[in-house]
Amino acid sequence: MAAQPKPLPVHQPSYLEGGGIVGWLTTIDHKRVAVMYLASALFFMAFGGIEAMAIRVQLWGPDNHALSAATYNAFFTMHGTTMIFLVVMPLLLGFLGNFLIPLQIGARDVAFPRLNALSFWLALIAGILLHLGWIRGGLPDAGWFGYANLTERYFTPGLAIDWWVIGLLVSGTSTVLTGLNFLTTIIAMRAPGMTYMRMPMFIWSLLVTSILILIAFPALTIGLIFLLFDRFFDTHFYIASAGATPILWQHLFWLFGHPEVYIMALPAFGIISEVVPTFSRKPLFGYPMMAYSICLIAFLSYGVWGHHMFATGMGPVADSAFAITSMLIAIPTGVKIFSWIATVWGGSLRMTTAFYFALGMVLEFTIGGLSGIMHASAPVDLQQTDSYFVVAHFHYVLFGGAMFAILSAFYYWWPKISGRMLGERIGKWHFWLTIVGFNLTFFPMHFLGMWGMPRRTYTYAADMGWTHLNRLETVGAFILGFAFLLFYINIFKSLISGERAPADPWDGRSLEWSTPSPPPAYNFATIPQIRGRDAWWILKYGRAGSRGVAAYMSGQAPSPPPSEPVSVEHIHMPAPSIFPLVLSLGVGMMGLGLIIDWYRIVIMGALVVVLSVIGMGFEYPDYGQESHDPEHAPSSGGIDVRKIGVWSFIGSECVFFASLISTFIVYKARSVSGPGPEILNIPLTSLSTFILLMSSLLMVLALAATQRGDKRWERIWLGGTVLFGLIFLCGQAYEFTSFVHEGMGLTTNLFSQSFFVLVGFHGAHVAIGVIWLSVLLVAAITGNLGKSRATSVELAGLYWHFVDVVWIIIFTLVYLMQAVPGA
Amino acid sequence: MIRRGSNRYSVASVAMRVAIALAIAGCSDTDRPMTTLAPKSDLAQWIQNLFIEVTLWDALVFAIVVVAFILALFVFSTRVGEAAPASTASSDLGLEIAWTLGPVLILLMISVPTIRTIFRSQPAVPPAGALVIKVVAHQWWWEFDYPDGAKTGNELHIPVNRPIRLSLESADIIHSFWVPQLGGKRDVVPGQINELTFVATVVGMYPGQCAEFCGLSHANMRFRTFVDSPEDFAKWDRDQLAGPVATPTSNQLASDGAKVFADSPCTTCHMIQGVSKGYIGPDLTHFGGRTTLAAGVLQNTPANVAKWIEDPQAIKPGANMPPLLLPGPKLNALVAYLESLK
Repeated sequence: MAAQPKPLPVHQPSYLEGGGIVGWLTTIDHKRVAVMYLASALFFMAFGGIEAMAIRVQLWGPDNHALSAATYNAFFTMHGTTMIFLVVMPLLLGFLGNFLIPLQIGARDVAFPRLNALSFWLALIAGILLHLGWIRGGLPDAGWFGYANLTERYFTPGLAIDWWVIGLLVSGTSTVLTGLNFLTTIIAMRAPGMTYMRMPMFIWSLLVTSILILIAFPALTIGLIFLLFDRFFDTHFYIASAGATPILWQHLFWLFGHPEVYIMALPAFGIISEVVPTFSRKPLFGYPMMAYSICLIAFLSYGVWGHHMFATGMGPVADSAFAITSMLIAIPTGVKIFSWIATVWGGSLRMTTAFYFALGMVLEFTIGGLSGIMHASAPVDLQQTDSYFVVAHFHYVLFGGAMFAILSAFYYWWPKISGRMLGERIGKWHFWLTIVGFNLTFFPMHFLGMWGMPRRTYTYAADMGWTHLNRLETVGAFILGFAFLLFYINIFKSLISGERAPADPWDGRSLEWSTPSPPPAYNFATIPQIRGRDAWWILKYGRAGSRGVAAYMSGQAPSPPPSEPVSVEHIHMPAPSIFPLVLSLGVGMMGLGLIIDWYRIVIMGALVVVLSVIGMGFEYPDYGQESHDPEHAPSSGGIDVRKIGVWSFIGSECVFFASLISTFIVYKARSVSGPGPEILNIPLTSLSTFILLMSSLLMVLALAATQRGDKRWERIWLGGTVLFGLIFLCGQAYEFTSFVHEGMGLTTNLFSQSFFVLVGFHGAHVAIGVIWLSVLLVAAITGNLGKSRATSVELAGLYWHFVDVVWIIIFTLVYLMQAVPGA
Repeated sequence: MIRRGSNRYSVASVAMRVAIALAIAGCSDTDRPMTTLAPKSDLAQWIQNLFIEVTLWDALVFAIVVVAFILALFVFSTRVGEAAPASTASSDLGLEIAWTLGPVLILLMISVPTIRTIFRSQPAVPPAGALVIKVVAHQWWWEFDYPDGAKTGNELHIPVNRPIRLSLESADIIHSFWVPQLGGKRDVVPGQINELTFVATVVGMYPGQCAEFCGLSHANMRFRTFVDSPEDFAKWDRDQLAGPVATPTSNQLASDGAKVFADSPCTTCHMIQGVSKGYIGPDLTHFGGRTTLAAGVLQNTPANVAKWIEDPQAIKPGANMPPLLLPGPKLNALVAYLESLK
């Protein structure tokens, strides 16, 4: 007999109830964090939407004066930046991903709940920083992908781009932490019996997206850091007269930027793969191929970035290679479109608004994908890129794809999240107005592009023949705006007076539908045992498949009367924390202070950050207060989740350093004048390298001592590691100061700036390691470390060894190889 | 339909191509002077051929998707409450292979001509007999320097049926050179020289525009390309090389204007051969002969020239040219002088 969820003895408060304002400010419950992401995203979406409407008003007619050129340029920049970083990604990851991952995999929360809250508060700070230009300095206005060297201070003076750089750095950090969190959660916290091939497809998409995030964002971070250094510290990473090239920015940005669009598209695909089977009452067609195609899309997405640069003159070989890879990526994507249609085929369809939006997404994304094939053909792209044709393409895939999926997800999961149903009548109006408005706004753009209208132009001439279509698009945009108004109204109405939602309004297939609507804070009274794909469907109807469904169709109640109620007292949820909020405020202070030149605020902010990190580290003296459910073993086969977290972080750091090292290799020989590698002191650096490597040995000994409970040697070896790390840092400080005395400072030439930034950032990593180990040393000395906390030492060791390995690579490539001619 | 070499097509595909070309040409280039669909050069033609091919394949795939979609939604499914679902089949190896291999084959058909066109359109060395013209992009105007020393701004003249090699350089930031009827665009990047090679095949005037966002007046960085017959081009080139047209003594206003110019700050930025040496702004030696000013934004009429000189920022936000406050008569004289420089 199929197992049924047992009822609870008394009304369990939902996750929304209790705690007051302080409860929300200190929450680490993934569902509350999700709701905060939602509120923030809906807020910023209003900004992004109004910016879009203003753009369309300005483009109503030729030579229009509704917006000045400066305002227009700021608006299209903010529209893109806001929609991508503050709306679509937060909605897909921070809102839907956060809410659903634990519920769909049968867990009680994510792997690192406080880190989750930190991600949210950082994201909010980032959104605020990006918009502070309204108050002072002006809004960012160099486009959402801010090409160098327009973004250099010489060409765009003032604070606008500074807000953009800092805002994106903070936003990127928030996203990377989320990726790390999701990856660890999905690997380690699936319910017993949920193998990878039994996960909901939404979880598959988030698993792969998390890896994409970890490997893509560091490239953006490095690009932004170079721009920051150029704008604040007078380096020349993108300035041609110094021997550099603005094309470096494009490579770094698009190495991030293309995986970024798949970071938005893959979760959207995952959503459709949930909604379509539910409303077709059929399993997803071709589950294994759907999973593999997600992996293949992600893998290929790293090889296509040059298709954003076909016009930059990379040469025919590079152009051809990127054209091929860009076409290849269409194949796994096509598999998904066909599989969704095959899922609907032969199904028993329930035509809800959620299903409408999912079906709409399939068609609209197909159009976007097909125009993408055109862009993949490099010669054709040379006419289409930077024209309204590409604006049509990316709105079809990002709005028609990601946003439609988000809207579908909204109508689908809102009952679970809020305990209320959204109005179906308003929903259908919302849907049809969106379809009409969306296609009216964006389809004509294909033609405008073919007729030569460039993008990012605040006005156009009357004799170009573009006026009529622009008018049509403006009308479409207002229809779309009205549709979104209906959406906001629907949400509002549902919260005030919406029909109360049952636990399983759609007869769903995955585990979240087994919980009450809205769920209690702990999600599941008992963690279910998973017997197959569509785990909840099996729990309801057994594995009989159509027999079980036939029973449902014939009106038979699917569940037998429940037996004894279950107790929930044993469930222990992680305790709330104020540190995520405080830490984020510290980061905000640092960003703000840097931009408005109040360096005291930067230092205060840094202090707040450091103290918060240490505070978070010691908040739960016994690892277990922040623990997950002891009821089931982690699905990672016994590996501590914190280790998975650190390894994920190390993965992203690899890309961080790879970008820095690659830049050094490209730039070291391009200095126009000044010293080169001959200034390096190899014997001295060999000695400090040896010291650093020996520190790794000491770290290994420290861990061994901790693991066997030897407190004395634990302290000695830890202390030794710290000491050796400090000696290495002193050696670096000596090296840097002697270079300055010999006439090579940060901004002297390309070699110097690439060297100092690379080695400097590595040194910063060593310094952070030293601080970390010192904190552990103090803990050891005061008797608070010891065998039961050996994992803490192991984690620090992992980080420390990684930093050493990076140094070996740097030492080889920067110091030793300079003696090799042509290296 | 299997393509063997570039000259053999099945009847059906020829018919389709003619139909599409007619449909596209229906969007005529007189109504839409920046259209990409009316090729006037070999490069633009190759690109359009490729575009039509990709469009046809795209249309085929879209038709298949739409038909499958409609069938799935309206024919081969039931609605909840009706009879039990027809099947719960969730895999079919044949189908999955078909819809993986099918796209692979289609993409192969697209990729071969794509790569051919890429290599054909980017010759490593200029073709024999090519006219190599240096293009320098500035915020927000275009400078054209000819190998024989002729210099002009914002209006490019090239001879028909002769290979042109544009050597693209930037004076400041990244711009992009785009004349849709003559081919795709090429970015203009500081620190490197990019090249665009093509042969214009039809005499005429083709507008172009900067296609990489380059700041406040990116929308105002336009230009015109004149494809001339060989004789007309030779004459134009001679005229450009010659000094400024002597102001006829009968034109008193223009003679006064020459003095106004010589005494004005204009000489700091603008060159008129034999008169001033400024190179920050466009060369004005033959300004009167141009059809537009302010980089293709205004028609070259006396009223517009006056408007521009009085307040460049109003027409082109951010322009480096400061306003010149002149009393009416002096302004008119200056305008008359500039317009006389044919």
